[in-house]
Amino acid sequence: MKAFDRIIDSLRIASISSWRTKERGLAIVAGVFLASLVVTTVLAYGNGLSQAFLAGGIEADVIDAKVDMKRPPGDNVTGRTNDSIQWASVCDDLLSDESLSVSDCDLVYGRQGIRVTGFFDENFIRPQPLNVESIEGITSDWENVSFDYPEQLESGPPINGQRSVRILGESSWDGEFSNRYQAEILYGEWPTPDRALNSRAVVLPNQVASQAGVSENETIDRLDFSYVSDYSALPAEIDPESCSGEIRTGVNGFQYCRETITLLNLTVVGIYADQPPANPALQFNHIFITGTVLTEEQNLTLMQNDHAYLALAIDRSKLPSSSTSAAADWLDDIENNVEGKNYTTANIEVDYYDLISGTLTFLNIYLGFVQIFDYIIMVPIIALSLSVLAYGMLLSLEQRRREISIERVIGATSETLQRMVLLEILVMSSAAWLAGYLLALASVPLILNAVGFMEFEKLDQLDVSVSLSVFSTIILFIIVVGIAAQFGRSRTRSFLEMEIDEGVKKVVIKEGGRRWLQYLIFFIGLLALIEAYIETTDPIWDEDDDGLVSNFILNGLLFIFGPFLLWIGGALVLGRLGSLGPKIAQIIFGRTPLLKDVRRGLQRSGSAESVNRLAIIMILTLSIVTLAAVQGETGTLVDERTASAQVGSDLQVQFTDSVNKSVAEQRLRDAIFAVGEDKDMSIGSTTVPTILTNIDGKASNIPTWVLLDSHKEVMIWDNQAVPNQDQEAAFEGWKTTSFTAGESAAITLELSREVGRGKAVSNDDDQIQTLTYDEDNFVAIPVDQQQIDLLSSFAQGISALDLSPNYSGKDLSNTDTWAGFNFSGSNLFDTNLSGSNFTNTSLVGAVIGFGLSDAQPNLFGLDLSGANLTGIGIADFNQLNPFISSNLLSGVNFTNSNLSGAWGFFDLNQSTLSNTTCPDGTNSDQSGCASGPAPAMLWPQEIVLAMQPLEFKIETTTRNATVEFMGQHRWVPGLDNSEAQTSLVIGESVWRQLVGTDVANNLTATKWFFDVGALASKDDGSVLKRLSSQISTQSNISSVSDWKTSHEDVERNGGLIFGTPGLLTLQFVVASLAAVASAFVFLTLVLTQRRKELAILQAIGASPNQVMRLVLFEILSIVIFSMFLGSLLGVGISYAFNGFFGIFGFIFQLFGGNSTPISREILFPWIRLSLVYLAVLTTVIMALLVTTRQALKADLAVTLKGE
Amino acid sequence: MLKVDGLTKGFGFGSNRLEVLKGINLDIEKGELVALMGPSGCGKSTLLNIIGGLLEGDKGSITLNEMEYGLRPPSKVVDIRRNGVGWIFQDFHLLPHLSALENVALALEMSGMSAELADEKAAWAIEKVDLIDRAKHLPDQLSGGQQQRIAIARAIAGQRPLLLADEPTGNLDIHSGNEILQLFKDLCHSKDDPISILMVTHDPNLAAQADRMLLLRDGVTFASNIKDAWGEEG
Repeated sequence: MKAFDRIIDSLRIASISSWRTKERGLAIVAGVFLASLVVTTVLAYGNGLSQAFLAGGIEADVIDAKVDMKRPPGDNVTGRTNDSIQWASVCDDLLSDESLSVSDCDLVYGRQGIRVTGFFDENFIRPQPLNVESIEGITSDWENVSFDYPEQLESGPPINGQRSVRILGESSWDGEFSNRYQAEILYGEWPTPDRALNSRAVVLPNQVASQAGVSENETIDRLDFSYVSDYSALPAEIDPESCSGEIRTGVNGFQYCRETITLLNLTVVGIYADQPPANPALQFNHIFITGTVLTEEQNLTLMQNDHAYLALAIDRSKLPSSSTSAAADWLDDIENNVEGKNYTTANIEVDYYDLISGTLTFLNIYLGFVQIFDYIIMVPIIALSLSVLAYGMLLSLEQRRREISIERVIGATSETLQRMVLLEILVMSSAAWLAGYLLALASVPLILNAVGFMEFEKLDQLDVSVSLSVFSTIILFIIVVGIAAQFGRSRTRSFLEMEIDEGVKKVVIKEGGRRWLQYLIFFIGLLALIEAYIETTDPIWDEDDDGLVSNFILNGLLFIFGPFLLWIGGALVLGRLGSLGPKIAQIIFGRTPLLKDVRRGLQRSGSAESVNRLAIIMILTLSIVTLAAVQGETGTLVDERTASAQVGSDLQVQFTDSVNKSVAEQRLRDAIFAVGEDKDMSIGSTTVPTILTNIDGKASNIPTWVLLDSHKEVMIWDNQAVPNQDQEAAFEGWKTTSFTAGESAAITLELSREVGRGKAVSNDDDQIQTLTYDEDNFVAIPVDQQQIDLLSSFAQGISALDLSPNYSGKDLSNTDTWAGFNFSGSNLFDTNLSGSNFTNTSLVGAVIGFGLSDAQPNLFGLDLSGANLTGIGIADFNQLNPFISSNLLSGVNFTNSNLSGAWGFFDLNQSTLSNTTCPDGTNSDQSGCASGPAPAMLWPQEIVLAMQPLEFKIETTTRNATVEFMGQHRWVPGLDNSEAQTSLVIGESVWRQLVGTDVANNLTATKWFFDVGALASKDDGSVLKRLSSQISTQSNISSVSDWKTSHEDVERNGGLIFGTPGLLTLQFVVASLAAVASAFVFLTLVLTQRRKELAILQAIGASPNQVMRLVLFEILSIVIFSMFLGSLLGVGISYAFNGFFGIFGFIFQLFGGNSTPISREILFPWIRLSLVYLAVLTTVIMALLVTTRQALKADLAVTLKGE
Repeated sequence: MLKVDGLTKGFGFGSNRLEVLKGINLDIEKGELVALMGPSGCGKSTLLNIIGGLLEGDKGSITLNEMEYGLRPPSKVVDIRRNGVGWIFQDFHLLPHLSALENVALALEMSGMSAELADEKAAWAIEKVDLIDRAKHLPDQLSGGQQQRIAIARAIAGQRPLLLADEPTGNLDIHSGNEILQLFKDLCHSKDDPISILMVTHDPNLAAQADRMLLLRDGVTFASNIKDAWGEEG
């Protein structure tokens, strides 16, 4: 008891004494707090990262495990039940068993019992889901909805190719399951149990909902779904007598008897985004229906036919993340525990089918790399916090040296002294440790949710409960407080070993040893910096692109360790320079009134050891601040640039058919309307046509991409992609006659490597190239002898077109009655229209003209002004006969009419053209209209086919354009990166020159890029995601990608992996805090030490103002100079770390299968950095003013007299 | 030259209040070396500090060559420390990172002298204490006596009329102590520009060599004659 009292007593004394000397204690507290914060964060982060990573990475249905009854249904089977209430009550047993980590459980009707262990077991494919048979509803269009779902067969074993139904029990509408389902909802909501019951809820996948045009809260009048009541393995067949439903043969080699259940009067309460295929065991993208709509009889039927299972949600946060096998063992344990007993009074035996373990192995390997990477980049901040701790300790104990010596004089033994010092340190550091520990645990979820540097998402994105075991906590305590105590002990001992008088003396001159080592470290670090710089900027002189060190291993080692060496070595070497600050200030201000009278006071003041330490700490902290800000900002931008390079614009859509601009835009507008936005909003669109060009003597059939002029507004470009890193110049070049080439294309074409790399090029000759393009065209040969055949085959083609009504052979001449009449699609071939008034008629898709006839009929006097002649066929066969000069259209009035897309043989030269839209889409007022034959692509296929057997041959027109090489492009947004290397890129005007106006004006394409303006960022991109999902449900869509989704993927998997922005943010925040705090603490200590000196100065005649100036100039010059050196070093290590990030980026790309063309181009967030520097400077000035004022106020006489 | 009139000073408040000086009157003439003695805690240092502008008195006044002060706080009497009194401390109080010459010159520069003139004057002062060959040395490289002589040089360089020395030989051996005292005598009795020195000491031998000795007891100057003082004590 007495011993206990004594301990309490000494702790009390230690606490009081630490409180009294809190100034010097501040350094210890700050150091321990930082160290504890950082080390705890790193450990807790590792723990949280694993959870987040596994939770985010597990590809699964919302259901983690399917529990079936082990016994298949049959007569007289024990160990199972057909009572749904009894089966559901098993959930209560599972949920109440804490050791199982089941977070939710529900009775679900869906796929039949599996009862096997793997995909490759034959019986795995036999059990069937419930299938949708039909849906009816007055308010929507269900007739066109197909419930075939062949994708299901493609994404896994052939189980079932029809849309399936999952009927959910009560637990799915609240708790964990509800959260998981809700996360995928696009429209409406995942209902509460009450709403599910009351509204007879149905939740549809978006694809189904879109096809039906159904939206939330609409009613489904009737839904039929089928269950399996019998099966037979082929070739054995089901006896039709025994099946009261329909017998169907599956692709899996089984025959099933399916019977139908009808549900009436349901409400669509939600629509969810279609999910990518995951584990096929439960099939994909179900229609969810609440189980409360089933009658008791229907319940029983489904139970009897084995369609009932228990769906389990496992608490994924408890999944051990230390290793694959630990996680697999943990899952196995759950399986064994669940299967290990019988449930309820019916002694139900169960079979547990795990749905998540499959993805674990891969994830864990990947996670390992991620963790190593994250731990490594935390090394500087750990080192930093430990060095703040060490230096703080050193300074504060320095102040005790005299005290200790005096106490020794008065008879204290070394044990007592050591114990005293240690106790004080322990009390202070324990308090500081606890504060750091708690703060760290609180901040880890935030760090994990950081999606960019200093950018955080809402916290509900990841469900991570960070906790450290008691064991880890103790270890953490021992590490941090232990280091502090050990340091204090060794320092105290060294004081005790000193001679007493030496200890009492004020100044101990010590020379910092091992300088050569510091310089060596610094040198290797510099090497890494230079190497990284070379590889980032890729200068021309570095011919083989491998920098100074070409050995792969050495290079890697240099990139991994170099940055750290540069940092440590740089801080030590530059720290010595930092204390030159006062000298520099003296040189600059020495002769000005500012410093004139106190100049001498600055001399050699920087040589003090404490000042040197201040400089080193400032350099260490500020370089980390700079590093974190630079790399964080750079990484965030790299992610954005990667997303931009991948998608190319807000939205990229690949259609299954080739469409023109207006059709593409219309389809987008439909989707915009469907997601509830303004469909008349302004949108931009572009596409990148590809042609094959030749450069004579060098290469032929070079893939050549065409940037239409609209690309500028739509595509998201990057300076890195274009020559000279200058977008505007590149755009201007493409717009005129310049072209770019990919790297390998440039090599093939022997284009100068120097062009477009920021240098003047001496030899202009090889920049000018002649690009040729061969246009292949169907051309009918105007040979006299063929004309008759041509006419008859043309007539055949027309009849194949099946035009109606048919006015062929009629005489509609010289009448006024047809004005405004709709002749769209009519057959007016061989119809006499001469002299008639056809003003404002519609002749869309009609055919007019005459075959060969002696009378040489014409349409003279036909007035087609204002008529809509879009796509009309005009057959003037005289045009094919070189001996006949007659022109069918001579004198026809086309004023204001629209001939766009007209095809056939004709000559408009003798017609009246005024504001006429020509067949090629141009306006006649500008350059007249070109005459036929129109390009083959405009001809109806029927006509072309009918005329094919004749000599309707391909004629090649070669056009060329003189173009100028302006350098290499590295990629084109949204297009394949590797193809870009072998391609040329030209602009629209060159392209028009090459392919001709006809082709250019009738451009159609399958891949379109869209700019949706402000919609892209509305609701933080969720509108864009919805739009993207909406488009993908349209027909004619091959694939859609949007910027937001792509960016999220990149953030999670790409350039900066999982949580790294968070770590860099942490680094930035902690280092900024450390910079400010250590500036304050160290200054206070330094100035306390110098209080006496300031008193002497005053005694010999210095005014308070002079003292203030002296101190301000001395400390500020050191701090500012150290800041300068610190940011310089920070910039250096930022570059050096680029190589490091490159190495790991490479590894992650190997694993993630995700490649980015973006090189990590360093970005300097000067504003953010300036703020930190400003904060540090303000703190320093404040600390200076406060402490100096204190020193000035202090009793001079007392200060001068003693300690 | 120096006239202290009815100076009082006390410390603390209420019942803890301790009146240290209870009305000091004293005069020092130009060229006089005066030793101030008295038992520990009698207020010798307090008196010296007030005269030297490091502490303010409660009542009374001090006149030093037309300059009136005594009650103003130390921050308001910078001119006294610059031009009136020079300080010499028991542990020298030289700035450790400045050379001897710089220590002296710094004080001059701070009182507004140009760097060149300060160097010149400092060299003159060091010459005067006979240490010119050590002018470039750092304090740590000098012996205690030499350091004290540099401190004296610093005090006299500004041509202040009065030097205040608080146990100037307390940290020195007897020989060095005697040298310092001899220097004091030389300075006071110099023909062309004599200065006055008020020196606090416990050493009766040193005190005996002063021109005059003051004894401070119970907060008043008890005697201004050495013989009387010793008689009373002894």
